[in-house]
Amino acid sequence: MHHSKAHIWFVWPAIILMIVILILPIFLAGGISFTNYNLGNSSFEWVGTENYEKMFSRKTYIKMIISTATYVLIVVPVSVVLGLVAAIMLNSLRFGADIYKTIFFLPVMATLLAMAIAWEFTLHPTLGIINSFLANGCGGIREFILGFHWLPWVSSEDSWYSVACANNMDFPYWLKDKKTAIWTICFIGVWQAFGFNMVLYLAGLTSIPRELYHAAEMDGAQSTWEQFKLVTWPMLGPTTLFVVTITTIRSFQVFDTIEILTKGGPAKTTYVMMYAIFEKAIQQNITSIGAAITVVFIIFIILLTFFQRYVIEKRVHY
Amino acid sequence: MGTISLKNINKSFGSTEVLKQLSLDIQDGEFLTLVGPSGCGKSTLLKIIAGLEQQNSGDVIIDDKNVNSTRASKRDLAMVFQSYALYPHLTVRKNLETPLKLRDYSFVERLPLVGNFVPSRKEKKKSIDDLVFKTSETLKITELLDRKPGQLSGGQRQRAALGRAMVREPVAFLMDEPLSNLDAALRVHMRSELSELHNSLKTTFIYVTHDQAEALTMSTRMAVMIDGELLQLDTPSEVYNNPSSLRVAEFVGSPKINTFAAQISSDGSVEFMGIKLERKFNTNSQKALVAVRPEHLEITKDSNKPAFEATVSYRENLGSDIFYHVQVDQSDSKIIVRGSPAGPISNGETVRISPSHAEAMLFETSGERIR
Repeated sequence: MHHSKAHIWFVWPAIILMIVILILPIFLAGGISFTNYNLGNSSFEWVGTENYEKMFSRKTYIKMIISTATYVLIVVPVSVVLGLVAAIMLNSLRFGADIYKTIFFLPVMATLLAMAIAWEFTLHPTLGIINSFLANGCGGIREFILGFHWLPWVSSEDSWYSVACANNMDFPYWLKDKKTAIWTICFIGVWQAFGFNMVLYLAGLTSIPRELYHAAEMDGAQSTWEQFKLVTWPMLGPTTLFVVTITTIRSFQVFDTIEILTKGGPAKTTYVMMYAIFEKAIQQNITSIGAAITVVFIIFIILLTFFQRYVIEKRVHY
Repeated sequence: MGTISLKNINKSFGSTEVLKQLSLDIQDGEFLTLVGPSGCGKSTLLKIIAGLEQQNSGDVIIDDKNVNSTRASKRDLAMVFQSYALYPHLTVRKNLETPLKLRDYSFVERLPLVGNFVPSRKEKKKSIDDLVFKTSETLKITELLDRKPGQLSGGQRQRAALGRAMVREPVAFLMDEPLSNLDAALRVHMRSELSELHNSLKTTFIYVTHDQAEALTMSTRMAVMIDGELLQLDTPSEVYNNPSSLRVAEFVGSPKINTFAAQISSDGSVEFMGIKLERKFNTNSQKALVAVRPEHLEITKDSNKPAFEATVSYRENLGSDIFYHVQVDQSDSKIIVRGSPAGPISNGETVRISPSHAEAMLFETSGERIR
């Protein structure tokens, strides 16, 4: 049999490009992470696992892991569930669905940079629209609703809202307070991500055959919840897998909002991985530490991908 | 019990009327086929009976109870869908269990984990297991119970879908073209199986199809629907031999029935293609249509028989029969004649065609039957 070598000529440009711009840098980063090399230095020394030991012992990097984990663990479930709920609700609307789709999808299309600046103004402790809205509502219906006075176990004097009103309009400083900063960043992350998830779920919903719902109805699934359990949720399995993977990877990569709004502060509470890499390797020029963080980051992503590929994939495709 | 009656059902989607004042009585234990060309509203009618679609006006009555405002899940009917609509993520066993669990288990018993601790569930689970096993035995799908629908062939999926409908012993089975996704041989085989199933279950079957062969072979009675109207409701042989209108006669029977223009003289005798019918008809019309099925025409060499001449344009050999498509010499109409395979007749040959005794039907030019 004649063996042609032509296929090698067709694939080598792609393979070489992949090695040069993807594989090689990863191994390079892996190598640098075991040295004390800084960009511009003419020489370096091998330092073994020192960079990694620093990462797992110094407070800064512990905080980095905590803030990244907080961000991912909040943004992924909340934006996925919100996306699904919004998609199901829009799918049942007869009129006006397009308007809502546009509203919810706008944050996805807009530049996050510009959006972050808008959020900075909105959340400004004294000039921002949110705090002035809260301040104007002292003693009124806003205080009753947002202060949770309608819950039986919240007394109208001790709620956070009443306390803030009493203490000379001492409302949260949002991004400037280490107690609230990461939650505010998470909120913006959810706001930005769920529109995209909603669109993916809408596409998933339209591909569910209507006959399955009819079959469920004939079989006695009466409530919406039962039909959701029997048909909608299992049939959306592949969509959910995709949405969760994409959102997780994007959440690990959060950077723009941090860079503009908090720069990792206050007290490193929003010091996420991507920002740490940027700060160490680019701003402070400590390339070796930046490389070590990058390696940990890549390991996270690879683990996630394997988990998705080999564990969950088998359960959602029938 | 399984009597279903429909009274003056109207249904329209937007401005298109799909069902027009349709009334139908279905008896207990009967195999009723709703047959008609695609788009005649038969599937819509089935969905209205099931409760998956709401009629614009009229009543659906199941076992002497008006169910207009009863939702589908409460009507106690079971349905087999054209696409089978099995739950793809569940095994065949779970698919069969679903209708039983949804009806027999209480809300708490259906909860995952917690449900296992409710004592009454164990007993119910056992009766469900028994029913699933019994059904799978009947349908010969026991060895498929632990597979998922994606791993089954078309015919096996068909059985699984049938099983899901059967486990529950409903008032009636509704079937929406259940055989149309199967290949020809399997379809013929399933026809006989469905008939046997009906005989053993003795439950009301309502079967929708566009295939008149299925309707003729399986049903106790068939309802011919065209353009949203019920044209005839009768036994298959009665519909075939004694159609109430030309549209029914043309829809039922393959190949299609032949029609000829005919003249009626004042004494009621009818003449077509130079042949005089023996029977006399009582009608005022002067013009009418004579319809003769292909098997009631024969190619004859006997010059004493009343006959007309035609040219063979196409031979359709089906093995047991040969259908000759012939061009009638005096007109531009084409007709179909059944012949025996023995006849050495080739294309282009001129033949004499003679109707057999007393099998012609007479219709008004507007389509009504003249008896």
